[in-house]
Amino acid sequence: MTASSSPLIVLDGVIYPGGLEDINPNDIATIDILKDASSAAVFGARSANGVILISTKKGKSGKPIITFNDNIGFNKLANKPHLLDGNEMLDFRADAIWSMMGYDSTSKPGIKYRYQNPTKLPSGSISQADWMALTGATGDVTTEWLNRLRLKPIEITNYQAGQMLNWEKLIYNDNALQHDHTVSIAQRRDDYNYYLSLGYLTNEGLTVGDTYKTFRTRLNLEATAAKFLTVGMNFQFSNRDESSIPVNLSDVTRTTPWGSYYAADGVTLRTSPNDDPGNNTHPFMDQTYTDRMYQYNNFFGSLYAKGKLPFGFSYQVNFSPRYDFLMQFNHQSALNPTIAAKKGVVDRRNQTTYSWQLDNILRWNQKLDKHTIEATFLFNAEKFQSWNSTMHAENFAPNDNLSFHAVQSGTLPATIASDDQMATGDALMGRINYNYDQKYFLTATARRDGYSAFGQQNPRATFPSVALSWALNEEKFMKGTQKWLDYAKLRVSYGENGNREIGRYAALSNLTSGTFVFVTSGGTAYNGSTVAASNLSNPSLKWERNSAINSGIDYSIFNGKVSGSIDYYVRTTKDLLVNRSLPTVTGFSSILVNLGEVENKGFEMSMNTVNLERKNLTWKSTISFWLNRNKINHLYGATPDYDPATGKQIGSSEKDDLTNQWFIGHSISSIYNYGIQGVWQVADAALAKTYGYKPGDMRLVDLNNDGAYTIADKQFLGETTPKYSWNLRNDFRIYKNFDLSFTLYAKIGQLSSFSEATNSQLNGGNVFYDRSNFYKIPYWTPSNPINDYAGIGSNVGGPVSWGVYRASSFVRLSNASLAYNVPSQLAKKWKFDNVKFYVNIVNAHVFSNWIYFDPENKNGTSGGAPTPYNVNFGLNITL
Amino acid sequence: MKNNIKYFSIFAYLLMVVVSSCNKDWLTPKPLSIYSPENTFVDATGFKAALGASAKNIRDEFFGDGSPIITESIFSDISVEGTDDKTGPAQNMDLQIRPDAQLNSGDFNRIGWYWDQEWIGVRMANTIITRLPLAKSLTDAERNSFMGQAYFFRAYNYYRLTNQFGDVPCPITEITTAKVDFATVKRDVILKRMKTDLEYAVQYVPWTADKGTVNRGACYHLLTKINLALGLFDDAIASSTALINNGTYKLMTNRFGVDAGIASKNVTWDLHRPDNKAAAANTEVLMLVTDRLGSAGAFGVGTGLGTRIMRQAVPGISIGTNIVTPNGKAGAAATGGNEIDIMNLYGRGIGRCRSTPYEYKDIWDDAKDLRHDSTSGNYMFMENVRYFAPALKTSDPTYYGARMQLYDSKGKLLCADTLRSWYPWPHYKLYVPDTEANPMQGGHSDWYVFRLAETYLLRAEAYVWKGDMANAAADINVVRTRAKCSPYTASQVTGIGTILDERARELYWEEPRKTELTRIAYIFASTGKSYNGKTYTLSAFSTSNFMIDRILEKNIFYRTNFVTLHNDMMKISQYHVLWPIPQSAILGNTGGRINQNVGYSGAELNVPALDKIPEQ
Repeated sequence: MTASSSPLIVLDGVIYPGGLEDINPNDIATIDILKDASSAAVFGARSANGVILISTKKGKSGKPIITFNDNIGFNKLANKPHLLDGNEMLDFRADAIWSMMGYDSTSKPGIKYRYQNPTKLPSGSISQADWMALTGATGDVTTEWLNRLRLKPIEITNYQAGQMLNWEKLIYNDNALQHDHTVSIAQRRDDYNYYLSLGYLTNEGLTVGDTYKTFRTRLNLEATAAKFLTVGMNFQFSNRDESSIPVNLSDVTRTTPWGSYYAADGVTLRTSPNDDPGNNTHPFMDQTYTDRMYQYNNFFGSLYAKGKLPFGFSYQVNFSPRYDFLMQFNHQSALNPTIAAKKGVVDRRNQTTYSWQLDNILRWNQKLDKHTIEATFLFNAEKFQSWNSTMHAENFAPNDNLSFHAVQSGTLPATIASDDQMATGDALMGRINYNYDQKYFLTATARRDGYSAFGQQNPRATFPSVALSWALNEEKFMKGTQKWLDYAKLRVSYGENGNREIGRYAALSNLTSGTFVFVTSGGTAYNGSTVAASNLSNPSLKWERNSAINSGIDYSIFNGKVSGSIDYYVRTTKDLLVNRSLPTVTGFSSILVNLGEVENKGFEMSMNTVNLERKNLTWKSTISFWLNRNKINHLYGATPDYDPATGKQIGSSEKDDLTNQWFIGHSISSIYNYGIQGVWQVADAALAKTYGYKPGDMRLVDLNNDGAYTIADKQFLGETTPKYSWNLRNDFRIYKNFDLSFTLYAKIGQLSSFSEATNSQLNGGNVFYDRSNFYKIPYWTPSNPINDYAGIGSNVGGPVSWGVYRASSFVRLSNASLAYNVPSQLAKKWKFDNVKFYVNIVNAHVFSNWIYFDPENKNGTSGGAPTPYNVNFGLNITL
Repeated sequence: MKNNIKYFSIFAYLLMVVVSSCNKDWLTPKPLSIYSPENTFVDATGFKAALGASAKNIRDEFFGDGSPIITESIFSDISVEGTDDKTGPAQNMDLQIRPDAQLNSGDFNRIGWYWDQEWIGVRMANTIITRLPLAKSLTDAERNSFMGQAYFFRAYNYYRLTNQFGDVPCPITEITTAKVDFATVKRDVILKRMKTDLEYAVQYVPWTADKGTVNRGACYHLLTKINLALGLFDDAIASSTALINNGTYKLMTNRFGVDAGIASKNVTWDLHRPDNKAAAANTEVLMLVTDRLGSAGAFGVGTGLGTRIMRQAVPGISIGTNIVTPNGKAGAAATGGNEIDIMNLYGRGIGRCRSTPYEYKDIWDDAKDLRHDSTSGNYMFMENVRYFAPALKTSDPTYYGARMQLYDSKGKLLCADTLRSWYPWPHYKLYVPDTEANPMQGGHSDWYVFRLAETYLLRAEAYVWKGDMANAAADINVVRTRAKCSPYTASQVTGIGTILDERARELYWEEPRKTELTRIAYIFASTGKSYNGKTYTLSAFSTSNFMIDRILEKNIFYRTNFVTLHNDMMKISQYHVLWPIPQSAILGNTGGRINQNVGYSGAELNVPALDKIPEQ
């Protein structure tokens, strides 16, 4: 529950520790996913979370094949709520301040209209003179109104001059461009084959100034050195440039449309566009006054030799090194008015990572009659090392014109720090594959894995697995089914594997060192050192263990018209690596331990069908459906129960972990919280008061009706994980040359946090409803007594902590594409082997009741970057 | 087949050799950039660094945004939470001070911060105390001094815990496993143990030591507080007298330090200058915490935080358009660097820690008092501030640069929010120049934890409890006359209120006011002495106590249930004399029962608190 749960990536047969973004998708030949524990076991006990097998391209034919892949796309805004414009904002502000005044409608006649636009008062409500008299004001009515709405002088000036800033226009790239170009060359000859590619991608984000660039290259080379020896290497280099500085979106909602872009000099950005520096700074401040270079370079290679030995033996050795270099240099200029006093701030971080793996694999193959045996023995060793240094300096003299290049000219070098890490691992594996007559299959594996993070007492653990399968259709008694049944295979497997994804030193007590200034009796200050433990050590920490039973069937019927698989699994995880909460009396908040048991049961099915096969039209579909049920079986074991009256032990029981919100018998993703039955309405004001709330606040469910909200009123509201998911892909081929496809996927039944419904987004930081601007979402007022959204600035504190959750089920049209393959004769005429044009829409549409940004990627509460949809135009040429 | 087996055996053998050859320490974890307890707590340097961490741990109370000391102040007679534009600040304690509520946020309150941080302090001290006897290379003198210093830090944290939360668990050795079976121990049992420890400390900790570390003066000072907390008034007089009579520490009565040459200033101003707190000439400081701009150990290094004290405590002059000129024009601007640069002189206050009239008006009984003097610039009144919004130069030139006024000539109020934007403040304490933020928020500065002035007031308090008003007056007068006040006669010392008034004058933003009020409330409850004719008991502590009665007497906001512009009511109840034990601590303690304080939900499950401290 604490250890990472991302799947293991295996690239061309070796474990790949890098990121997917460093692999050019155009280089990928195949992607496979291994789910059952037995087949995953080859790649190490770390495969508990599944394995993604990626193979890159190789040379395939005798002549060099050159391929160009070019596409240009547009990223566009999708699923974004509307940001209030200047006039909408003033209406909102009027209601916000009215709310802060307790929706006063009675203290004076007409007081209800105090914040309304005096030039648009509803007829029969109150006269302009009476409206002015509400506060004893004289002079210009509009100025008085804007003063009541707490607008700053600059905002009043701009309102009167009709100068409104359209922040959405200023910050969003309406048609952000994406370029992706890859060229590759590949060839296979008798004794060698190669694949070489170069790719360049640049992607503009949805906001102005957000650009991502990457350069990626790959060389796959394999040579037959002798009849019995093949050597090769797969080599990948990538450079990512993440230097761009995004617009600060939360500042966009914290400022207002009535501010000014520039300061009085017309050049410098206005510190706060609406002169409210306590609440916002100019959204472009960092982008304008920061010089940044964030570069990530990495090399990943795999060198291998495969040798054939006598008597059915073969031997393979892989060495796969990876080098990562990152540079994160940042300079905040002294010209930035918000930090001008600091005279320049520079941060530099360099990190080098070097890791390697060595695999020695011995295989033995033997075939005797109908018996086929293959045995594999593996020995693996690995090492990880990283060296990280950071420095920070401020107050540059004589000036900071040299940006981050002259850190020594900072007169306040505040920190220099380094953090170096090392980890080691090893593995031994033996495996036997046996099959009889291509009908009965058996695989048995045993692994012993070691990892240094568990190195104090339990570095190694052993993981067995076994799998059986039966090709049913090969049996004599199935002869009668041959007409319709092409293939059927029953599978069952049991396997154990492990999880080690914790910090490299998480089991050790880490003494954090630092400094503290002391002063001698003579008044001289010096830096003294400080050390204190930051965590409790756990020398007995060990591998998390996962045991899974998978059963399933693979089938193909009606000459391949329908094929697919059905799977059922039960996966039990024990000795979970968990940050167990401790009573803070210990001085620690948690300790990393192996505890508890979690069970996952699931069902998965996928089906490929050929729906139509005509001369000018083929239609194929792929449907998958899956669900998973998660349950905590055990946590920390039984602990004593005491009688409150006497303090004597009266028994023992296993307790839930209320701090982490983990409950025995429930899913890890369960939401245990107060139910929300609506919004307190004016008629219930007296009752609301007894609970500590007022009309317009969210109304929690008082489960036990005792007239107070206490921990006893919490209940299980649902889960944050989907009840089930499905995926549907349809491919059409029309007139041989047109390919049309679309993919839908869905996640159904999950809840997501929706604190926006409180209209009081404390955690998102938008707390000043009388000073900021907002996205348009409904809100309660006495004259708009809705029940699903609270009033502006409603009370989200109160006697207990609670949250708002809403269903976030959705169906997404994730991909729609249309491709045209130029007929080969025509292409040949143009001297090409193959030419293809395509247009592709990613994230074309989401069907959901969710209203606030994307249901799957809400991304923060106050103005997180919206999810784009993009349109790509591509050209694919093979020479 | 036979051959195959042979080959197989050879390869298997070779593999075994490869594996076993690098078997030995291949998987031993090798920490490169982190220290471990085993190789650090072995010599004097290691223990000094551990004590350094304990010292640094008590610093943060006074620093940063929504600094914890504000929470101590708003549970007292001197301040309230002035933030009135959002939900969250601790104003209606009935609603917001609950075991399950948000208890550790600058936007709410810092009760949970104290709870967490004090237990970290206890843990750090326990580690030192447990490991000192094992460090063979230390001399006896070193070991005894380190032990005394560690006892100081443990006692410092337990003194705070027992006066904030009452009865609490009491671990006294290093915890190395997942311990979840704590039990609550009686407050006086814990304090008696701390008294014993400090009586050891005052024998071995040296009288003088580098500032930022513990010296014997600080140990005597803390021992005096604990003696008072236990109702041992003679012991308190003895321990404070030992400190005062030793002579190493003396009140500052003459001009000194950085501004000594500025004739218009005075010793009160000098005493609180950031550069003077740890100065060699300063003989008054017993214990301080350090924070120096540019040092790697500075508070919130790199984030531009520091004390942020001006932001917390200065009125929100520039908030919204709260302050207008008599012509109705916005009188203040929120930006720094204007022609009249108010924001970079007093800082951009937000009025979060809003003083009560008791603090800024009622207690000042001597016009000569330097601590309330605006002529020298020590104390600031809103009427001293000028209208400075640059737009006024054209829109309202009559008032640009004129002094601010609360009412116009016709009596119309010119400040839309007098809670947050209009009250006087002690500039001499809050003025911490800020070179990082523009406008200023309050920069880096050392801060007093214990000063000898408070020792005099503690001894005065002990005399008051004993009814010796003449000696009490003598001690109070040492502090008063330094601030150029006339001395009190014995008859002017009317009781504990006189002590509390003097503390409020002298120790603003230094004393943890809630801790001290609770300590005094315990003394009333255990001695049966009366206040305003009323007596108290320990058994009814959470339904009737001195602390809340005092707050309701002196703090007009709680007494009148003041309602803010945000429509929140200021309210405090008797059971708030003790803060709630954070629910997470009780829930995480699955193997035992940590008691909740009476008045909060969950207290019905309490079991009797222990009479003895568990040794493990």
